[in-house]
Amino acid sequence: MHGHVEREFKITWGMVIDLDKCTGCGACMTACQVENNIAPMLDASNKLRTLSWLLVFEMSNKKAAPDAEIAYLPRPCMQCGNPACVPVCPVVATDKNEEGGIVSQIYPRCIGCRYCMAACPYHARYFNWEDPIFPKGMEKALSPNTSTRPRGVVEKCNFCHTRFVQAKDKARQTGGNPDALPDGAYMPACAEVCPTGAISFGDLKNPEHKVHELAKGKNAFRLLEKLELHPQVYYVSKREWVRKLGDNYAATGKPGAEKKHS
Amino acid sequence: MGLDRRGFVKFVVGGVAGTLFTPVIWQGLDDAATWSQNWGWIPRLNKGEVKATSALSKLCPTGCAVKVKTVGGLPFAAVGNTENPMSKGGVCPVCAAGAQLMYSPARVKSPMKKVGEGKYEPIKWEDAEAMLVEKLTPLKGQDGKIAAISGDETGSANEVLSAMLAGLGSGGGFHVMPGEMFTATKGVKLMGGNGQPGFDIEGADLVLMIGADALDSWGPTVANQKAFGATRPTGADATAQFIYAGPVLNNTASVCDKFLAVPPTATTAFSLALANQLISAGAVCPASDFGDYKALAAKFTPEEFEKATGLKSEVLKDLVAKIKAAKAPLVIAGASFGQGAGALDFVAGASLNVLLGRVGQKGGMTLLSAAPKAIASAADRENAKDAASFLAQVATGKATPAVLLVYEANPAYALPQAGDMAKAMGNIGFKVSFSTYMDETAAMADLILPAPHPYERFDDAMNPYGVAKPTYLAGKPVIAKPVMDVKDPVDVMLAAAGKLGLSLGFETYADVIKAKAKALGADFDALAAGGIWNGELKGGALSLGAGALAKAAPVKLDGKTVALAPVSKLAYGTDNLATPPANLLVVRDSELLGKDLLVQMNAATAKTLGVTEGNKIKLTAGDGEVKALVHVNEGVAAGTVAMLMGFGRSAWDQFTKGKGDNVYKILTVSDEAGTGLKVWAGSTVTVAKI
Repeated sequence: MHGHVEREFKITWGMVIDLDKCTGCGACMTACQVENNIAPMLDASNKLRTLSWLLVFEMSNKKAAPDAEIAYLPRPCMQCGNPACVPVCPVVATDKNEEGGIVSQIYPRCIGCRYCMAACPYHARYFNWEDPIFPKGMEKALSPNTSTRPRGVVEKCNFCHTRFVQAKDKARQTGGNPDALPDGAYMPACAEVCPTGAISFGDLKNPEHKVHELAKGKNAFRLLEKLELHPQVYYVSKREWVRKLGDNYAATGKPGAEKKHS
Repeated sequence: MGLDRRGFVKFVVGGVAGTLFTPVIWQGLDDAATWSQNWGWIPRLNKGEVKATSALSKLCPTGCAVKVKTVGGLPFAAVGNTENPMSKGGVCPVCAAGAQLMYSPARVKSPMKKVGEGKYEPIKWEDAEAMLVEKLTPLKGQDGKIAAISGDETGSANEVLSAMLAGLGSGGGFHVMPGEMFTATKGVKLMGGNGQPGFDIEGADLVLMIGADALDSWGPTVANQKAFGATRPTGADATAQFIYAGPVLNNTASVCDKFLAVPPTATTAFSLALANQLISAGAVCPASDFGDYKALAAKFTPEEFEKATGLKSEVLKDLVAKIKAAKAPLVIAGASFGQGAGALDFVAGASLNVLLGRVGQKGGMTLLSAAPKAIASAADRENAKDAASFLAQVATGKATPAVLLVYEANPAYALPQAGDMAKAMGNIGFKVSFSTYMDETAAMADLILPAPHPYERFDDAMNPYGVAKPTYLAGKPVIAKPVMDVKDPVDVMLAAAGKLGLSLGFETYADVIKAKAKALGADFDALAAGGIWNGELKGGALSLGAGALAKAAPVKLDGKTVALAPVSKLAYGTDNLATPPANLLVVRDSELLGKDLLVQMNAATAKTLGVTEGNKIKLTAGDGEVKALVHVNEGVAAGTVAMLMGFGRSAWDQFTKGKGDNVYKILTVSDEAGTGLKVWAGSTVTVAKI
């Protein structure tokens, strides 16, 4: 697409989120905030201004009581195999060039043009309208894992990239292979905290990692597959209406359409 | 010597070439690039060794066994403790925000005394402690003059508090904030048993939750979620069914195999109609009151069921078939918001476990006997008295305490008819609040004694409500020195008791907890390192509670009145904790918009009430009134309005104060027929458009 060559990686870190296990409790969002030093906002109900690297959406089957059903969908950055955000960035502040396939975001390079936000169909990118202001003293509880960002730059989930670096360092120190981390050696904060174990994480290409098989399951799907961005985040649900919503009626644009895998 | 043209060119070229070989320019450019990326005005990160230390995080009602990650000794995150068999590596959304809560702007920074309406002055600890002793001294030996309210269900602090009151002559003055543990234990007594009920979700293959929001805010939430998660391996078949019968399609219901929308006024009717169908389908039980129970349940016909719940009776048949097919069904009964249900709602649900022969079985309901006490003169936990009844007595002048000690509780905010309760508290001459945060109760206290954050204190948790077997957790401070000028409330009370000539045998809370651990036969150090103590279950039979259930009175609704279903979401905080700053994002804009809370109802209810999406409405009950916006949500039971708890704070901080309204204001207390308990789970409200 647009002359941008989709790069192949030997390792592709990916998530498989079991929507039938997600209670929407919000622990993942909190853990994400804490890990990534997102400052609390006075009016967090203004969702055009908040920074939610991980956002738990509420989905409804739109049926009247008593047939109403809801499901929760945690949405991190999809770390697309063919990301829409990367080619539009005029300053290469976002790229997909590291083994593991995580889409980077280099804050000091970002000029805040927000093309990437417009390009991302998953609304996974957020613009800092304000400088991060923590209540007095709370900066002492900043996580050492993520630098704070000033106003005027775009930010997003990076699968807790520092944890990836730390896991590789640990492997080097303990005689392991940093290019073949065992399942569970690297885990983003959201997957680690989830009390129901709805979020599985690992290398999608490594058969020894659980997600390798889970992503191929019959109820696995990705969001908006028709766009062919090849997200590295998969979802699983036994509920058909959930899967259909995830595909956004891919094949025909009408509810009930067949799933179209890319 | 002159400089000719050639010489000048040589000099310039040589100069340029020379500078290319010096590092000055490159270093300068590099420094400039670094400097331009060095945003001095945004916070810097902390540096130092990263460690993880075990802690008991009692920010949520159950307490999460966590590992607190520190950098250079400063806590920055709480992660799960995979070795702890209760939390198994999971953390609830409140405890996940624990490190940031140490620096919450709402923290009480030092002892304070009231110097005028809403005005406080910081004082020294020695003055504060002297003031406490001075106020208590003349009341020593006068029964009923000192009262205490505790909001901690599980800590040994309650033993110290109740023993201190008993030692000072006000033995009947100890009260607890209402919670499920309180009513359920009373319910067990009505069923001829003794002990705190437990529920073995892990061992069940069908879990029917009647009201109890077990996967978000009821019981040991994280343990329940872990047990649920274990039955649903991703990509494979589920090994247990979960069914939720309650007023709102809440977080628990969202992942259940089936959701049955039962109004909060119809909980008992639902349980007994199910019992009737189970008996019709052949269920029998050896309990001596089976005959009476059967006759009582027979009154709850499918027609009655439809009338009470608004559901079709087919759902009941389907449910009976599922229960009959299950090997280890379990029924959990409770109020959908964790309190206010009468003992009868509990008995009606729990009786199904008796009927199905599931008491004391694997995957069934268990009974936890009382744990040994660290202080012999402390009140028995199962005989606790509730704070709502107490403050009602204060309001009418039946109780006249001169001093009220409030420990880890927020009665001014979190009791039904909150306005009346706060007024009743105003009748008490001297109020002392032991609180970590400036909550609504601290904001009306005469003396505020700041308590440590969980990472700064010793604490313990004995049998958090809902656990299937006797369970004990304990923790010690994670950091060497508290970040505020705080003292452990128990240490303060023990010192005060000492000055009043009363020795409870301990000088610090740490000693009390160590003695408690010893009494249980547990190793405190192992517990503080993130371990757990589990005891053996004792058997015990229960009746079906037919005698008590016969007195259950149905709730009547008229055309303009609807049932009120408060909704509790742990992430949004608890009675004792306003929404943590790190959790503000989790609140949806369909729940809170700016400063307006949205109440939820289904389209049919909205139509009946003559309101539509976005309308501003007033909900009234008794003297209480709240304002909110309408949000149509098909997940709310018929004739019911759902309203989130935890909002409408009048104290706390800039993040929570004045946002939304407090549902407790419109929860109305009534006396439960036959038990005399105060109940408010079946509250009704009038709705009017404004």
